[in-house]
Amino acid sequence: MRKLGRWWLFALGLLTVAPLGAEEFNAQRARFNYQMSCQGCHAPDGVGASTVPRMKDFVGTFLRSRAGREFLVRVPGAATSALGDAELAEVLNWILLDFGGDSVKSDFRRYTGTEVGALRKSPLFEVDRYRVQLLAEIASNTMENQSHD
Amino acid sequence: MNFLDDLFERRSRQLAQRSSRRGVLKQLGGLLVGAAAVPLLPVARAVAAPQAAPKAPKEMGDESDCDYWRYCAIDGFLCSCCGGTKNSCPPGTEMSPITWIGTCRNPADGRNYVISYNDCCGKSSCGICLCQRDEGDRPPYRSDKTNDINWCLGTASAVYHCSTAIVVGVALDKGAK
Repeated sequence: MRKLGRWWLFALGLLTVAPLGAEEFNAQRARFNYQMSCQGCHAPDGVGASTVPRMKDFVGTFLRSRAGREFLVRVPGAATSALGDAELAEVLNWILLDFGGDSVKSDFRRYTGTEVGALRKSPLFEVDRYRVQLLAEIASNTMENQSHD
Repeated sequence: MNFLDDLFERRSRQLAQRSSRRGVLKQLGGLLVGAAAVPLLPVARAVAAPQAAPKAPKEMGDESDCDYWRYCAIDGFLCSCCGGTKNSCPPGTEMSPITWIGTCRNPADGRNYVISYNDCCGKSSCGICLCQRDEGDRPPYRSDKTNDINWCLGTASAVYHCSTAIVVGVALDKGAK
C-alpha cells in the first residue's frame, strides 16, 4: 500500500508537466529535416522558386478545409519523403509555425504522427490542377462565410 | 460531529503509524524527480530551441581543390576555378535557387554541416576542376537526392556552368535525437 502511494505521487508529478497526447516538438530537428528534405526546392525561407509553390505567408490557407489539410501531407514531396511519420508531422508543424505568418491561426490543430501516417498512404499523383481546384474551393467557402457574417 | 472527530483521529493515527517524517521527504523527492524526468512543454521547447543560424565554420583546405571538405557530395565544375568562389557564381551567370542539399564533415572542427550545392547557370560548362565525389548521391527515384540531373532549375537559363558549396546550417547529431 505504501509503495503504491508513492508511485501515485510520482505519476501525479508526471501529469503536472506532461500534457496528455502532446507530441514532442524539436524545432532544431524539424529545421534540419526541412533543410535535408524540402529546402532544396522550397528555399530556405519557404518562398519557393519558379514552379515551386510559395509556402511563406500562405501555407496556412490549406488548413481552412479538410481536403486542404490532407493535401499538405499527400503532396508527393511530403508523402513519399524519407522521413518517418512523427518527423514528417513535426516538419509540417514547423513549416506552418515558421513560414505560415498570418495565414496560420496560432491555435491551429497540430499534425500528429498518426494522422500523417494514415494520410501519406494516399499520395497525390496529379498535384498542380488539384491544388488550383482546392484553393478555388477554399476561396469560395471563405467568401460564403464572410457574406453570412 | 463526533463522527468527524473519530474519523480524523483514526486517520491521523493511521498516518502516524504508517509513515515517518523522512518518508515524506522521500515522497516529495519522488514528486520532484517525476516532474524533472519529463521534458518541458512542447511550446516552451519550440521557443527554447536555437534557430540554428549557420555560423561561419572554421575553415581548412583549398577551395579550388576537389578534396576540400565542402565538396563531399558535389558533382560538377568548381566555381572557385571558374571566376567565382565556393559561395558565389562567376560574373555573367545566375545562381539556381533550386539546389541539391547534403551534409559534409568539416575536418577543422569535426562537425557536420548542411551544404547547399547551388549551381551557376547561363553560360556553357566551365570545363575545369571537374569534381565528382557524390557522397549520399541516390538514383533518380529519389529525385531530391540525385546528382544526375541538371539542377539549373528556376533560373532564366538551364545551361549549367559550375557549382558552389554554401554552408546553410549545422547538421543535427542524429545520435542525440
